[in-house]
Amino acid sequence: MHIPDGYLSPSTCGTFTVAMVPFWVTAGRRVRKIVKSRYVPYVALASAFSFVVMMFNIPVPDGTTAHAVAGTLTAVLLGPWAAVISVSVALVIQALFFGDGGVLAIAANCFNMAVVLPFVGYGVYRALSRNLSLTNPRRALFGGFGAYVGINASAMCAAIEFDLQPRLFTAADGTPLYAPFHLSQTVPAMAIAHLTVAGMAEFALTFGVIAFLQRANVPVMKINHPGVQLEGDIDRRPLGWRWALIGLGVLAVLTPLGLLAPGGAFGEDSPDNLDLGRYNLRAVPTGLARWSSFWNHAVLGGYGFKDGEHPNVGYVLSALVGMAVIAVAAGLVLLVVKFVRSTASPVSP
Amino acid sequence: MSATPDWMLHAEPSLCPCGCIGRRTTTSFVDKTITGASRVMRQALFTDDIAAKPGLLQRLDPRVKVVSVLGLVIAVAMVRNIPVLVGLYALSVVIAIASRIPAWYFAKRVWLFVPIFTGIVVLPATLSFITPGEIVVPLGTWFGHPVGVTSQGLRSAGLIILRVATSISFVVLVALTTTWTRLLAALRAMLLPRMFILVLGMAYRYVFQLLDSVTEMYEARKARTVRADADVRSGRAFVSATAGTIFGRAHSMSEEVHQAMVSRGYTGQARTMSAFRVRTTDVTWIAVCAMVIVIAIGIDRALGR
Repeated sequence: MHIPDGYLSPSTCGTFTVAMVPFWVTAGRRVRKIVKSRYVPYVALASAFSFVVMMFNIPVPDGTTAHAVAGTLTAVLLGPWAAVISVSVALVIQALFFGDGGVLAIAANCFNMAVVLPFVGYGVYRALSRNLSLTNPRRALFGGFGAYVGINASAMCAAIEFDLQPRLFTAADGTPLYAPFHLSQTVPAMAIAHLTVAGMAEFALTFGVIAFLQRANVPVMKINHPGVQLEGDIDRRPLGWRWALIGLGVLAVLTPLGLLAPGGAFGEDSPDNLDLGRYNLRAVPTGLARWSSFWNHAVLGGYGFKDGEHPNVGYVLSALVGMAVIAVAAGLVLLVVKFVRSTASPVSP
Repeated sequence: MSATPDWMLHAEPSLCPCGCIGRRTTTSFVDKTITGASRVMRQALFTDDIAAKPGLLQRLDPRVKVVSVLGLVIAVAMVRNIPVLVGLYALSVVIAIASRIPAWYFAKRVWLFVPIFTGIVVLPATLSFITPGEIVVPLGTWFGHPVGVTSQGLRSAGLIILRVATSISFVVLVALTTTWTRLLAALRAMLLPRMFILVLGMAYRYVFQLLDSVTEMYEARKARTVRADADVRSGRAFVSATAGTIFGRAHSMSEEVHQAMVSRGYTGQARTMSAFRVRTTDVTWIAVCAMVIVIAIGIDRALGR
């Protein structure tokens, strides 16, 4: 999945470099807070481990072998922020030393493999295994499953990055200047490769290593699982608010994907879009015609500006405004509920 | 004189039962991993050999080299005409020869890998299904629509292949003519945080340490294996156990390294020596590169499209 130079336009690479800076800075701070002056050897050895693990050939059925990125494995063992740094360093060494993956595309590769992959993989793992003891065999299984989901999410990101290229950078005669493929081609290509061979290698390695460490080297497992009991059952804890917020955050970040979707919903925009003949109608029903245009003072009508210019900016702005309005409304409801509760039962139990 | 042992530079001839001599084909995951590990080490030794030769790029200050090549790679990414890209690729070959990089190696490094990966990826893009346009090689019709290779598709594929090849060539030029320590020093001079450089340097050093462990474990397994490894399950278990062991080893090693660093006076601050000097050759080189970049982009924009 290493994107070489030449597939992505310089502006895409620049955008990703800027986008990656906060991730790297936060990751550096987070990890340094935990390991303090051990920082350099700790991160260096973790990076060396990431690099070496990427070189492992994992046998998958049918006699073939595949490499794993092992970002989820590093995240499970050392935490997702440590994985961000160590996988990034491994990718930098690969790009500068082996020409594996582009130099300008380093940030894009880091975003796919050092941010999306470990965070998605680790999120799935944490969500599924939060009630399991450290040596529970299902923990290894969920780790492997997280890795499988993670690498596929990361492959989807690469597919979307490729898709943006012919949309944004095409010569006047229709020649794509960078990667030529569209979403309908990049998604199946990436999905088939990663749902099968690459995903399986990732699953096998993560599952195998966690199972091995549970059996042979539990102290190492404790590094990133402080306070998790070794054996026996754990009381079921309900999912916290944090997970709801994380889920909503992911959906919010994915909003611009709507720009890629063609077509519109059935008869939604205006009555003129109705296929009258199909419903044996001769004209738009008078009620519909009258009331559909009753309100035309929407601030961002049609998810864009009134004059219809800059549709993409308008769409994203509409999304932001919509989310802000909903957040304020939800906050107000919470306040009201709190107020009502406090007046209803003045003596708290 | 080359510091790389001779046997590392040649593929091993296989002695198959029929007596014919050919290249050994490795299929087992054990062999593949061992080969991969030795390739990394070979590459490091080879780089040291090349970097020690008296050549054009070797004489330059590493900072100047990194900045100029970064500029050239950005120029390559911005160029949109095939002739300009061909010119830039030719330039990389000239620089390689001037830097005493074996020409066959330089060509092989790029053209062995680019057609296989990039070529296969962009091949379908030449068809009118993906890149609609003017059909130059008709291939019949599909549901009444003419189908074939389009000129736009060909141009796009050519652009990508050439751009990938040229970018890799320039990066390889720097990677081959600069030892890792000097490359890191150059990166440090380019405003990258010192801590990051320190991590990068140590990670690189311990990659070889860990690779040594991996190679030993795999060789031990190979030595104990009589027939070819066919059992996927046990193979996977072995790989997982190796990776798990390596992780345990890396973790305990990081503790030991930290203790060793502290006992030598490390306080968590990174200090480095920097003694680079920019000479006239460096200034000339930067000027030439800047000119090349400006001319390349100028011609490219003049050609339009």
